[in-house]
Amino acid sequence: MTDESNRTDSPPVVDLPVDAVTATRGQRDAAATLRRAQQLVRDAQAAIEEASRVVGQSHAAGPVGAAAARLMVAESERQELAERLAEVEHQVGRLMTLYVATYQLHATLDPVEVQSTIAEIALNLIGAEQFVLLLIDEEDKGYEVRLLHGGADTPWTHTQRYTGGDPLVDAALTDGGLRFGPTEESPVLAVVPLRVQDVTVGALVILKLLAHKPAFVKEDHDLLDLLGAHAASAVFAARVYSKTARKLRTLESLIRLVNKG
Amino acid sequence: MNAVKARKVLIVEDSRLIHKMYEVMLRPIALVSAFDGREGLDKLSQNPDVDLIILDINMPKMTGLEFLAQVKATPALAKIPVIIVSTEGKEEDVARGLQSGAAAYLRKPFQREDLLKLVNNIETKQSAA
Repeated sequence: MTDESNRTDSPPVVDLPVDAVTATRGQRDAAATLRRAQQLVRDAQAAIEEASRVVGQSHAAGPVGAAAARLMVAESERQELAERLAEVEHQVGRLMTLYVATYQLHATLDPVEVQSTIAEIALNLIGAEQFVLLLIDEEDKGYEVRLLHGGADTPWTHTQRYTGGDPLVDAALTDGGLRFGPTEESPVLAVVPLRVQDVTVGALVILKLLAHKPAFVKEDHDLLDLLGAHAASAVFAARVYSKTARKLRTLESLIRLVNKG
Repeated sequence: MNAVKARKVLIVEDSRLIHKMYEVMLRPIALVSAFDGREGLDKLSQNPDVDLIILDINMPKMTGLEFLAQVKATPALAKIPVIIVSTEGKEEDVARGLQSGAAAYLRKPFQREDLLKLVNNIETKQSAA
């Protein structure tokens, strides 16, 4: 190996002390080797420091980092479950309302009590302040105003029979479909036709909601739908029962008279 | 989750439908039922261990507010918390109910979770006091 090649292989040294320039070739070689060794030591130290920093980081990111990530996932799942639980609780509440409405409608066979239950549902569960219950007159197939709630100043106040005139009510009574208003032609908020065996036996006409209830909500639609079907069958059953009970009483009186005679 | 701790609740309400609603919503709490304010006072004297009253306003014989005034005027009953649940929902109705001594006011129609939340809040306040 020549001197030239030795110089080329040596690490770049720029800050040679003055005495090194004037030193012998052997001394210069020794100094260069020493500097190279120093440089290698510095590089090794830097490498060790870097390695220990990386190792430290990986320790931190290892168990703690993984735990933090799992905690975040668990927190997100907890949040999602809490939302789903709230939704389920809400659904349970809705189903309870529907169950109670159905239960109470079919809890009696007294026509007056059935009407009173329809009124309680309209007021307490739907929040209707003014409403009218129309029921079919079996004799002439017209509609009687059987119940008027909260209406001292409605067009229905002094009406005993409904003979038509409100387009929304007329349409609901004709096709048996639930109608929502108001429309340009009708001030009525909702008409719930009461249908049993494809026959419309009446309608609940909602004219006004309670002041703190600005509009119908999603839950009301289920309740109105249920009311349309179950109120009708409850009214129908109560009417049939009351007619049968009346006939039975007449027959019993007749039998008693015959037995006496 | 709404875990209600109350053991016995007096319901003073004239609607059978709403009585049934409370029965379903507050299960398994023991309920004592009254259909007007006067009956409510009778039931209260027969059940001194009632720890919450749910009260309607518009009732025959004795209204909810009259009942509430009597309860608050009786030292042995005055501490029982009362929740008014009514269709009377104007601001002045709510203010009148709370000024009369009700712990909370809920407007009808109500959601089950709103009722349970109110009951829980009242229980929490009571156990903290």
